[in-house]
Amino acid sequence: MNIKERKKALVKEFSPMLEGTSLISKIWIGSLVVIVLLGIYAFFLQLFNGHEVTGMRDNVVWGIFIVNFIFFVCLSYSGAFISGILHFFKTPWKNAIGRIVEMITVLSLIIGPIFILLCIGRLDRLHYLFMYPRIQSPITWDIIAIMTDLVACILYLYLTFIPDFAILRDNSNELKVPTWQKKMYKFLALGYQDTKEQSRRLHKITQIMSVMVIVLAIVAYSVLAWIFSLTLQPGWNSTIFAPYFIIAGLFSGVAVIIITMYLVRRFFKLENYIRRMHFVVGGIIMLVMALLYGYFTFSDYFAKWFSHKIGDMNLLDTLFSRYFWLFIFANYFGILVPIVILYFKRFRKVRYITLAAVIAIVGIWFNRYLIVVPTLETPFIPIQDTRPEFIHYTATWVEWAMSAAGVAGFLLLFTLIAKFVPIISMSSIVEYESAPKKVKRHIKKITE
Amino acid sequence: MKSNNIKYTFIATIVITLFTSITMLAQKFDASNYNMMFNFKTAKQHDNTRLLEVSYIARNNEDSKDEMPVLDAEVKFYNILNEKEILIGSAKTTKDGIAKFIVPADFSYLAAADGFINITAKYVGSDVLSEESEELLFKDLQLQLELTEVEGVRMIKGKAFVLNNAGEELPVEADLYFYAGGMLTKMKIEDGIVEEGALEYEFEYSSNLPGTVDGNITFYITVEDHDEFGNVTQKQTINWGTPNPQIAESNKLWSEVAPIWMYVVLTILIVGVWANFIYTGINLFIIRKEGKLLEEKSKRR
Repeated sequence: MNIKERKKALVKEFSPMLEGTSLISKIWIGSLVVIVLLGIYAFFLQLFNGHEVTGMRDNVVWGIFIVNFIFFVCLSYSGAFISGILHFFKTPWKNAIGRIVEMITVLSLIIGPIFILLCIGRLDRLHYLFMYPRIQSPITWDIIAIMTDLVACILYLYLTFIPDFAILRDNSNELKVPTWQKKMYKFLALGYQDTKEQSRRLHKITQIMSVMVIVLAIVAYSVLAWIFSLTLQPGWNSTIFAPYFIIAGLFSGVAVIIITMYLVRRFFKLENYIRRMHFVVGGIIMLVMALLYGYFTFSDYFAKWFSHKIGDMNLLDTLFSRYFWLFIFANYFGILVPIVILYFKRFRKVRYITLAAVIAIVGIWFNRYLIVVPTLETPFIPIQDTRPEFIHYTATWVEWAMSAAGVAGFLLLFTLIAKFVPIISMSSIVEYESAPKKVKRHIKKITE
Repeated sequence: MKSNNIKYTFIATIVITLFTSITMLAQKFDASNYNMMFNFKTAKQHDNTRLLEVSYIARNNEDSKDEMPVLDAEVKFYNILNEKEILIGSAKTTKDGIAKFIVPADFSYLAAADGFINITAKYVGSDVLSEESEELLFKDLQLQLELTEVEGVRMIKGKAFVLNNAGEELPVEADLYFYAGGMLTKMKIEDGIVEEGALEYEFEYSSNLPGTVDGNITFYITVEDHDEFGNVTQKQTINWGTPNPQIAESNKLWSEVAPIWMYVVLTILIVGVWANFIYTGINLFIIRKEGKLLEEKSKRR
């Protein structure tokens, strides 16, 4: 096989993704920009008027911002974990979905921490966190962990992009893209020529980084769970919270990957690359995660119920009265329905697997909401003569607008990156195709 | 058609079941189904006041677990001697069916020649409930508790007697129980009897109970469920405790300075990770350098 010619052919094949913008794409990007702008307007409203414009009050000091923060950060960590595993074990599936996973990892880690900043009442004092950190506080650990993880993920994503930048640079004549974009390919390719020495070096550092992101994901996500579980609050003070968060993260991570695969496959018509097999494997992983997640959820609530501690009982009363349907959806529907869909072979079709992923994602988001809000609405000390809006939380349009802007920002960045670099790693395809037949046969055997 | 009928019948059954509750069949309270329990008891307290307590509860004749306290029933307490009837006071039953009244310490009871006092609790009744009354006969027992320490020996003395009309102390026969007070309940430390003309029972206190943080212990002497005297209590507090030394555990995690292990572990972790970032950066630099060299070579050719 002539590698040079194959690279050229791949660039030609993927060029429609990078060249020009269709009307649908323009409408899509335009809509996302509008939502982001609305979110920015809501942010300034909050900045100038304070948290009064949100539903957060003295009692319920955390609302949907922290829910989004946990959700996005958990998406990122699970993405890093899955991507690290795909790379470390040189799984052939990484050719098709590796880049999607890496992009989800980095983008959610960029969007997620923005939500924690929105929880801060006095953003003008943000620098105090760095000037006067308390090393004993899990919040300080979390800042360090998130910043370190962000650098690691961006670096890791960049490492996996380098060979593709080099391919795009070498075949830029085939592309009808602006000159600045070609210059960017050249700059970001770092003079990579795919020589033996360069390839060996790049593989080595990517391999080390893939292990590191797995470890960092576990450490950082455990720290995030400890922010809750190291307090004595009913519903949070649980020894299984760290592994529970990791399992929940992997569950939601796989679900988002499946949804993204479905959208990318349909939008870019990549049925040849993202095949049914990817969905089935993703679905089986999601099934295992759903079973584990269900088991952890049951254990956590069962221990709370059985202990009969007043705080926990009050919390369970709140969950089974004010939040009854949300609780049922998050912890029954959101777990059992994906399990049923994924368990039966005849339901393991692309559409059904994606539907299971959507239900799982909604369920996980509700679960996060139920972890944060009802606990804050059920304090240890009884409150007297307090206005109901101080005890009960309802998100305002300002919070929903910023939340929607976060999701839109994520999708916008994903779309823009997909317009800059092919969503399927070209270098991985070349690497796979040029591998000895024996290796390919072995890979085929595993995947079948 | 037949299957449709079965289907609709099934759905209708489910709907009716869901909207039906057992409480729909509940009847209005009917006293005839219930046995009314009007119980009266009294206890002389440590400050010489006397607690009069009535428990008024309706119990289902068929189901003894089904008990309903009578709420807001006014119970009147009388001191009766022959034809003379003095109203001491009255109280209304609470939601637990309890009516309590405390007779002041200086109240002069009408007593019979043999020293017995008759106190009667009465409820006049209502449209639904019939009249209730119960009387108690008891002698006014004088109980005293004395705590002394002579040359390091700690003695506890309990004295029980009744007073005659002339104010003389008359001996009684009774079991005396001695307790040390705790945070939740009392702990029995001794029991003794006063009989055959003896007025007192004395014993040495040699325990080393911790008491409160200040070393105070409250001792109690009681006569319990006596046929003539009922329940009588007396108490005294004294600094005889030997408090356990309080070791205040300082909270390491929230102290001003974090523990050393935390600095060490976090530093190793962070330095390790960032060192790898630098290592990656160096490798990328080398890749770039090699790429530049290759580019120059190809240009020269």
